[in-house]
Amino acid sequence: MKKILVIDDEEIIRKSFQKILTPEGFEVKLASSGHEGISSLQKESFGVVLLDLKMPDMDGMDVLKEIKENWPETKVIIVTGYSTPEAKEEALRLGASDHIDKPFIPDILTERVRKAFNND
Amino acid sequence: MKNLFRNPKESIAAKLIIATGLLIVILSLIFWYAIFLKQQKDVMSIAVEYGNSFTDFIKRSTRHSMLSLHTSTIQKTLEDIDTAEGVERIRIYSHTGSIFYSSNKKDVGNSVNKASIACTGCHDNIRSPGLLPEPKKWEVYKSAEGVTSLKLIDTIGNEPSCYTAACHVHPENQKILGFVEADISLALLDKTLFRQGLALTAYVLIFVVAISLFLGIINYKIVTHPVNELAKGMEEVAKGDLGYSAKINSVDEIGMLAKRFNAMLKDLKAAKDQRILWTETLEKEIAKKTEEIQRTQAGLMQTEKLASLGRMSAGIAHEINNPLTGVVTYAHLLKKRFPEGSPEAEDLDVIIEQAERCSKIIKNLQTFARASAPEKEEIDVNRILQQTLSMIRNQEKFHNIKFITSFEKGELRILGVTNQLQQVFLNMLINASDAMHEKGSVTVATRRINEKGDPFVEIEFTDTGVGIKETDLPKLFEPFFTTKPQDKGTGLGLSVSHGIIKHLGGQIKVRSRPGKGASFFVMLPAAGEKA
Ligand SMILES: Nc1ncnc2c1ncn2[C@@H]1O[C@H](COP(=O)(O)OP(=O)(O)O)[C@@H](O)[C@H]1O
Ligand SMILES: [Mg+2]
Repeated sequence: MKKILVIDDEEIIRKSFQKILTPEGFEVKLASSGHEGISSLQKESFGVVLLDLKMPDMDGMDVLKEIKENWPETKVIIVTGYSTPEAKEEALRLGASDHIDKPFIPDILTERVRKAFNND
Repeated sequence: MKNLFRNPKESIAAKLIIATGLLIVILSLIFWYAIFLKQQKDVMSIAVEYGNSFTDFIKRSTRHSMLSLHTSTIQKTLEDIDTAEGVERIRIYSHTGSIFYSSNKKDVGNSVNKASIACTGCHDNIRSPGLLPEPKKWEVYKSAEGVTSLKLIDTIGNEPSCYTAACHVHPENQKILGFVEADISLALLDKTLFRQGLALTAYVLIFVVAISLFLGIINYKIVTHPVNELAKGMEEVAKGDLGYSAKINSVDEIGMLAKRFNAMLKDLKAAKDQRILWTETLEKEIAKKTEEIQRTQAGLMQTEKLASLGRMSAGIAHEINNPLTGVVTYAHLLKKRFPEGSPEAEDLDVIIEQAERCSKIIKNLQTFARASAPEKEEIDVNRILQQTLSMIRNQEKFHNIKFITSFEKGELRILGVTNQLQQVFLNMLINASDAMHEKGSVTVATRRINEKGDPFVEIEFTDTGVGIKETDLPKLFEPFFTTKPQDKGTGLGLSVSHGIIKHLGGQIKVRSRPGKGASFFVMLPAAGEKA
């Protein structure tokens, strides 16, 4: 079973990820903040994390750093509504494997997630 | 030449001429008087000599008549001699003073004046007739008519032919038989002496005038003229004409002075020209800098506008993209429930299309904001700081502020935008000045540091102002946070600065000592050494 963790502060977004990816055969867990996401990761392991860069409690970059430090095997895909090229570059430098701009087309999201798993 | 005759108090030449003239006059007078006296004495001794031979001549002329006692002949002889020019009177008298013969007949039988030289010439006292050791035989006197005359007295001595003569008038033991006295006019001599004196005086006068004139001219040529020339030069200089040159070619002290004066003028003129040149350059430089500052300010405003547009579009993008994501995702999910080509699926496509159009508009806005933001380039922090400091030094706000700078040696290169960094530094300095009520000292320092292994450049601004309250610290970088009066603070300075520095990958740290001052540390990644 391919497990995915979605970390996003907006419920609609979280749920849309679930609705798109579950029918495609992924097990999708949701976290509404950086802290929550980290504690989920501590409980179980995930193949891919979908991470929003802008959240109130913790900067997306910091979450990314922590994930890559503790679970280097886990792939992180950045999903962001607004990002400068520099921010994207920085994220890739910190170990993110991909980034997707909001809004996204569901099929493209599925394809990118699959690619992340397959690159193992 | 007219300067020679100016007020003597104002003219060296006149003073010199008067002094030397006076000296010459006094010396000449002494000299003249000495010559005059000597001449008079010489003339007098000649006159006395001639006079003595004259009385001798009288004695000889009357000798025969005396021996033969021809008294009338003697009287007649005297009268005859008296007719000669210059002879005024001839008398013969006994040693008791009784006049026996006189060219003036009326005198005969009278006595001579006992107070006159006739008696006093040999006797100091008439009553006790002792003889003077050196008898006086002549005197010069002024007659009643004002004519100088010489009176000569000669003794008639006894000799054998006298006491052996038939008349037996004189005994043998009588030594002196009588006196011959002659009065001779010296009017002619007087006249000559007077003429000589006059000539001498004229010589002296001409001498004095000639010497004075000569001295005057020399003095005018050597002193007065050159000094006047120099004075004129100084007047011209005082009026501002530095192109003047004193025309003095002599090689004496004044010539030297003139040479120095001209050299000084030349130097002065060069200095003045240089100053004018500098002033012009300075004015041009100021105009250039003013324009630069104005341009920078305009640029800063533009950057700030663009920065706020960028921040706004970022905010909008984030806020709108999330709901748009919902719309697109759910529209897609819904679409999957309808068969391909059904009217529902087509309507949902329209929804998706429109939502994507919205997202595109936002992307364009972002791209525009980013595209209009200036390009980053490698710049030297030290240089920008220096520029900012020199830009504000002349502003009133910073007049009473002492800047203590301590810059790391060499170039401190970072990646950034000159205008933006200037804006940040300017902000820090304005805040420092405000915190110190525009009076105190600001330390501006730069240094290379290591931040978690990466090379950074740190810029420190430390002031001696009021510091920051503990409770204000978390709000410091919030937009619109200010503790200043409304017309002074906008509360945007630190938030904009923070935005700029953060965008460059750096950060701003604050340290505050309430009541004593505050320090702001701007840290920027060093360029060219990115890990
Ligand atoms: N050097 C400083 N010393 C003390 N307080 C400061 C200093 N710099 C900033 N502050 C505080 O931070 C506030 C915000 O500064 P800023 O964002 O530049 O806005 P403004 O200067 O317009 O008030 C200031 O009003 C002041 O209270
Ligand atoms: Mg300010």
